[in-house]
Amino acid sequence: MSGPGERPILEARGLIRRFGGLVAVDNFSFAVREGAIHGLIGPNGAGKTTTFNVISGFYAPNAGQVLYRGRNVSGRKTSALAAMGLVRTFQGSTLFQELSVLDNVRVGRHLTARAGFLARLLGADRPSERAADAKARETLAFFGLEELAGEPASNLSHGHQRMLGMAVALSAEPRVLLLDEPFTGMNPQETRRMMSLVRRIRDGGVTVMLVEHDMQAVMNLCDTITVMNFGALLVEGAPEEVQNDPAVIEAYLGAAADDGAGHAA
Amino acid sequence: MWRIATRLRLLILFAALAVLPYLLSYSQQEIAVLLVINVLLVCSYRLLTLTGEWSLGHVVMMGVGAYASALLTKRLGVPVPVSMLAGGLAAAAVAAILSVPLFRMKGFYFLIGSFAAGEIIRLIWKRFTDPFGGPKGLKRIDAFPNIDFGFLEIDFYEPVNYYFLALIVVSASLYVLHRIERSRIGLTFHAIHWQDRLAESVGVDNFRYRTLAFVIASFFAGIAGGLYGHYVGAVNPTRFGVDQMVYVLVWAIVGGTATLHGPILGVVVLTVINEIVLRGLGLDTVRPLIYGAILILSVLYLPDGLESLGPRLRARLRRRGRDPAAAGGRAA
Amino acid sequence: MDLLWQTAVNAMYAASYMSLIAVGLVMIFGVMGVINFAHGELYMLGAYCVVFLYAQENFPFLLAAAAGLVFVGLVGLFMERAMFRPLRDNPLSGLIASIGFLLILQTLVVLGFGRRMGHVPPPTQEKLEVFGAVLTHQRLLVIVAAILLLAALWAFLKRTRFGWALRACAQDAEAAALQGISMTQTARIAMFIGAGLAGIAGALTAPLVSPTPYIGHSVIVTAFIIIIVGGIGSLEGAVIAAVLYAFVHTFVTTFFDGVIANIVGLALMLAVLVVRPTGLFGAKERA
Repeated sequence: MSGPGERPILEARGLIRRFGGLVAVDNFSFAVREGAIHGLIGPNGAGKTTTFNVISGFYAPNAGQVLYRGRNVSGRKTSALAAMGLVRTFQGSTLFQELSVLDNVRVGRHLTARAGFLARLLGADRPSERAADAKARETLAFFGLEELAGEPASNLSHGHQRMLGMAVALSAEPRVLLLDEPFTGMNPQETRRMMSLVRRIRDGGVTVMLVEHDMQAVMNLCDTITVMNFGALLVEGAPEEVQNDPAVIEAYLGAAADDGAGHAA
Repeated sequence: MWRIATRLRLLILFAALAVLPYLLSYSQQEIAVLLVINVLLVCSYRLLTLTGEWSLGHVVMMGVGAYASALLTKRLGVPVPVSMLAGGLAAAAVAAILSVPLFRMKGFYFLIGSFAAGEIIRLIWKRFTDPFGGPKGLKRIDAFPNIDFGFLEIDFYEPVNYYFLALIVVSASLYVLHRIERSRIGLTFHAIHWQDRLAESVGVDNFRYRTLAFVIASFFAGIAGGLYGHYVGAVNPTRFGVDQMVYVLVWAIVGGTATLHGPILGVVVLTVINEIVLRGLGLDTVRPLIYGAILILSVLYLPDGLESLGPRLRARLRRRGRDPAAAGGRAA
Repeated sequence: MDLLWQTAVNAMYAASYMSLIAVGLVMIFGVMGVINFAHGELYMLGAYCVVFLYAQENFPFLLAAAAGLVFVGLVGLFMERAMFRPLRDNPLSGLIASIGFLLILQTLVVLGFGRRMGHVPPPTQEKLEVFGAVLTHQRLLVIVAAILLLAALWAFLKRTRFGWALRACAQDAEAAALQGISMTQTARIAMFIGAGLAGIAGALTAPLVSPTPYIGHSVIVTAFIIIIVGGIGSLEGAVIAAVLYAFVHTFVTTFFDGVIANIVGLALMLAVLVVRPTGLFGAKERA
């Protein structure tokens, strides 16, 4: 297994995102090293999802920067970020439900199956489309979905739908893959399978950053973990450091006691 | 590349369409011309709906094509076939410009925005008598020039001949629309319709693709407008108003928009009902009422349109066909 | 100076009946999430109640106007039952069905009264002067009635359970249902009031506008502009936007012309849609 390098591929510096009077992300910074599996955790309402949405271009930050491969990409459109290799997944069963499983992944190859308007009209895009189809089937095989290629996505089980969501993102050939709660709603067996797939994706040269509630999965899978609370950085470090950090324990216990007003470092 | 059965069916269809005008009276031939033009109008509208957006300005885009083509011939002496193409391009250009504000919105807001944009264009036609002719619009628009083969001169003033001209232009346009839908562009339109955030996340520029759909749809609406203007010889702002837009909506919804033949079915069936039944019975005044009732009833009871009747009926027949057989099997 | 003041007085009259129409439209949208495209025809129907009862059958004007409110409110109840309730989960279908209903109403009025303008003699020819500006009693009546009706509506929404139910349904229909609010009952009341307000607006202005069966078109265009500018779903926004729009439109009409005023109004709405789709007074962007 190749370890993470030293160079950060994705960085946030002093991110701030407000909604009306509410500060969801408050001067938050982190750095993801190339080749890492990096976890972002925190109690409910800590601002993880907002952070994710800012990094992936769904919202522009009110202040601060997102740096991708050393370039400031804050406020760029999601599609432009995808074209640069920064691709996200979604929570739950966010899929093209009415399209077939294969077509879902074919849409995922949007960026690599390029052709001009006239080429498409005249059918001159056939070679590149054939290649895209072949690649799409490869990706489906990687996730064990090749048998289901012709099914509408809405017919899949929840676990398969999560796999397909990953397959769509992976077929966009990302350099950094942002996974939004990849293990939610999975049984232990599916979780183990998903974990091994995430490792294989990383070993294939893709840096992975994930937001997750399943602490066990995060601790087992990640090289580095960033913990956020009240929109700001709480602790960052290796799983075992984070696990035993008193501030983290307090934050989670405080949240568990449902003490929304509880004070955190 | 099509299957033999499909080719055969198309061949029969075109043969029927070629014979059709000779079975019709003169006034029915005129209606047939307009029907063919309306087929293009509603099918181009369907392309936009593939992305999940419903516009209320599509008929105005047809008007843009009609006005542009008419003005180019009247003012600059551009030959009619060229001006028709230019009319389509003008509608496409207007759509491209309008995309900038309109596609900052989605769904209902886009619907209302497109309505506002269309009304503005119509008011401009009304207000600026030079060059648009004001509320009375443009009259004496040049007709499509005769074609003289020496041994045969085709006069497009004759509805039969214009019918064939329109049929050729519309068929070619429908083929292009079909190719677009079958290509990855069509797949991307569907993807945006069902889950635009996911599409965006794998690199689809939603704004660009929505614009593309709007521009293509408007181009063909503009072509339909050119065909209309040079046939009827006059255009005015009222002709491209909300009432006409309601008809397009009715055709699309009654026919269904899942397939290309859905809206065609809608416009053909409703035109036949309209012209033969209503006009025949002298019920011209109540026509809007009947259209309104059909619209409500189809939204309530046939939400997937006439196109969904065929498959449903077939499924039912199959079930019925199977059941007695199964019963017979048990008896034996 | 005189012209400016006179124009302002005219704008106040326009603002008053536009508010009634827009508030009704917003109420219907708030509960059912559907834009009633036939709202202009409800206004037209109210006007024809006066054409029939007052101009043709010689009932007292105010009685005819009140009948307009009740009758059009009942038509609203019918629309709720026949279209909006079965199509509750699908706002676009509801809107399209209301377009169908608009055609039906138009045609029925054409069949009953003909296509031409219905003439309604004004119940009073008197006018008063307000600091040099002329204000007919009929216009004054519209202004006063609008203020009274909106005040009554405001009190009704503040004081009764219905106001609370309306807000709850507008914010989150499911949560409202969990709190024991009957969606259907709330929708019925909203539809009756919303349609009734359009009806009485039409009834009261009938002597001033010479109604035709097709008058609804310009009314719905105006109402759209107002509710978009005011922020869809905001009753207060609708009133403020109605005043704003009435002033802009009346002044541009006076100093340029009516078509330019319409273009300006539509452009204003497009600009609001682009810059601030939630409207000038609507809810802020949510997380």
